[in-house]
Amino acid sequence: MKIWGMILGGFPRSRYARYALRDRERGVTPFAEDVEAIDRASAQIIGAQLAAGFPVVVDGMIDWHDIFRPFVDAWRNTTVDGLLRYFDNNFFYRIPVFTGEPDPREYVLPRRILRFKEIADPASLKAVLPGPVSFAYMSKNNSGLSNEELAEKIAYILRDEARKAIDSGASLIQIDEPFLADIDATRDHARLAAELVDKIVEGVEDKSIVSIYFNIPESSVFEELLNTRAKYIMIDVVDAPIRAESLVKNIGFGDHTPVLGAIDSRRIIDDKPSFVENFLKAIESSVDEVVVTTSTWLDLIPFRYALRKVYVLGRIVEELAGRNGYDLYSIWR
Amino acid sequence: MAGYEVPRKFPTTVVGSYPKIPPAMDLIKKRRSGDLTEEEFRKLIKEPISEAVKDQIEAGIDIISDGEQSREDMVVYFAERVQGYRPGDWVRIFDNVYFRKPIIVGELRWIREMIVEDWIYATSISMGRPVKGIITGPYTMMEWSFDLKYGDRRELIIELAKIIRKEIDELVARGARYIQVDEPALSTRPWREEAELLKEALDVIFKGLDAKRIVHICYGRLEKIIPYILDYPVDQFDLELKNSNFRLLPYLKEYGYDKELGYGVVDVHSLQIETVEEIKGYIDMLMKMDFIAPEKVYVDPDCGLKRLPRSVAKAKMKNLAEAAKLARREW
Repeated sequence: MKIWGMILGGFPRSRYARYALRDRERGVTPFAEDVEAIDRASAQIIGAQLAAGFPVVVDGMIDWHDIFRPFVDAWRNTTVDGLLRYFDNNFFYRIPVFTGEPDPREYVLPRRILRFKEIADPASLKAVLPGPVSFAYMSKNNSGLSNEELAEKIAYILRDEARKAIDSGASLIQIDEPFLADIDATRDHARLAAELVDKIVEGVEDKSIVSIYFNIPESSVFEELLNTRAKYIMIDVVDAPIRAESLVKNIGFGDHTPVLGAIDSRRIIDDKPSFVENFLKAIESSVDEVVVTTSTWLDLIPFRYALRKVYVLGRIVEELAGRNGYDLYSIWR
Repeated sequence: MAGYEVPRKFPTTVVGSYPKIPPAMDLIKKRRSGDLTEEEFRKLIKEPISEAVKDQIEAGIDIISDGEQSREDMVVYFAERVQGYRPGDWVRIFDNVYFRKPIIVGELRWIREMIVEDWIYATSISMGRPVKGIITGPYTMMEWSFDLKYGDRRELIIELAKIIRKEIDELVARGARYIQVDEPALSTRPWREEAELLKEALDVIFKGLDAKRIVHICYGRLEKIIPYILDYPVDQFDLELKNSNFRLLPYLKEYGYDKELGYGVVDVHSLQIETVEEIKGYIDMLMKMDFIAPEKVYVDPDCGLKRLPRSVAKAKMKNLAEAAKLARREW
């Protein structure tokens, strides 16, 4: 079995990145200085992942206030409202408000990929997008469209984002649908998500990941999502490990390559190899490739611990590959 | 409480926190940096407490708080005063705003009074009004801290509960009659196992306590958690209702809710000041649902008022108190 490690998503901000963004908000530094500060901090984050031996890295998205905001800011007929708790975290996102059909003024990802791909070399960059179902259902929809219609409109914009990101040099497109793990998520939501993900990744299915975190989805939701053509499916196996194990053993990942969110991104204690190994053993006979990743984005823990988690993930993947004779994969094809 | 009689119907109260009144934030920073000793801090923080108390009295609130002027944050404040914690690094709450999520590194132990002095001072200037003793609950302390010591959530929450009980005992010994435990984290994980975990901790906190026992819960899937908490050993649930458009009320009725209700009727995240008529309308709506008596309804804001400008917070309290007065005549 081939195994590799990867960080799922965004990073917390280093002290200097916090200061740079604070100064930007106060308007006390020229824009170029802020960008430089963010680039330095992102380079630090990318470097940590390279050192851990990951074939695909993220830039950390440290200038994103939440997963929706850069897209809301880049589109017409969208704005933000007050704060709402982001799932079960002590973290709040600004509620996107759709006042009409979203219409991109600019694209978010291509610039980022072009900006960071040289820093990421010899690894390759992953582009991360919010899922259209999470986006639509976690927003205020004053657009006059139904939530399904809105999600579809969002998906068309995200499809363009994905294509432009790939054209700019991204190796993987990740679409985050945490809403599907919510207790209110239904099979219909999953069906819609699968349909829309397929639209977004059309033509690049083998370079695409759907990720679900903060909880284990209901079986019916997960089964429906397995209909997507995206190659990789990520689940968070940390938050509810017993239910996760049951899902992995009883339903599995179908034809998809599993991405196991087995490194706890919400706690700072070092993860144990045995926990990850337990999940690997449960799937090793049915898959020829597995990705081990963090249970969610790392931005819910302090910066120093996020860097530590990168190291821990790299070490565990290497250790388990050696111990079990897995083929450790560290260079993107 | 001599000199002040809390109305029998629709008493008004607050959830606790109030906008920081200068120089409260400066004092907190100076205490942390060592420019002020705890003793000096306690002396100087009395001025903001006194202003917060004054605002509540002028607004017509019956059961007041000290405004939590000493507390930078509902978790960090206690973590700084309980043995076994160490200060954490910055974790983002929203945008570019952070809190220092504390870390549990040793066995937790109560070592000194944490909120008693502020409560005593607020009581001394409350003109007879009762002052709530308000403390962050064990579930929220656990969820909003990093744990490097226990690794077992049940063991950890019970240890936290023992510490909270000790502090509450100190308050009750000084005469506190209203004890509120804040549990905003509970509604974020609205599952039976989580509710049962907190119930065990509340048994430690409230068993045999000679005071009104209140738990405040807000912002989340309250309707999903309600069925699991109805048998909690408390006299009152204080709930956020306005922000969620009172969608919880039919559930309360359906589940045969029979405890007192802290009825959140003003939105603490909105600068718009609810009118007396609006708030009175919310009280009427509750009464017309006919599942709770006016004597069991405590009218208050959804949550702490700390994020509002002081003038807005005071205006909201004033209208709330006026509306309760009108409701008393009618119900």
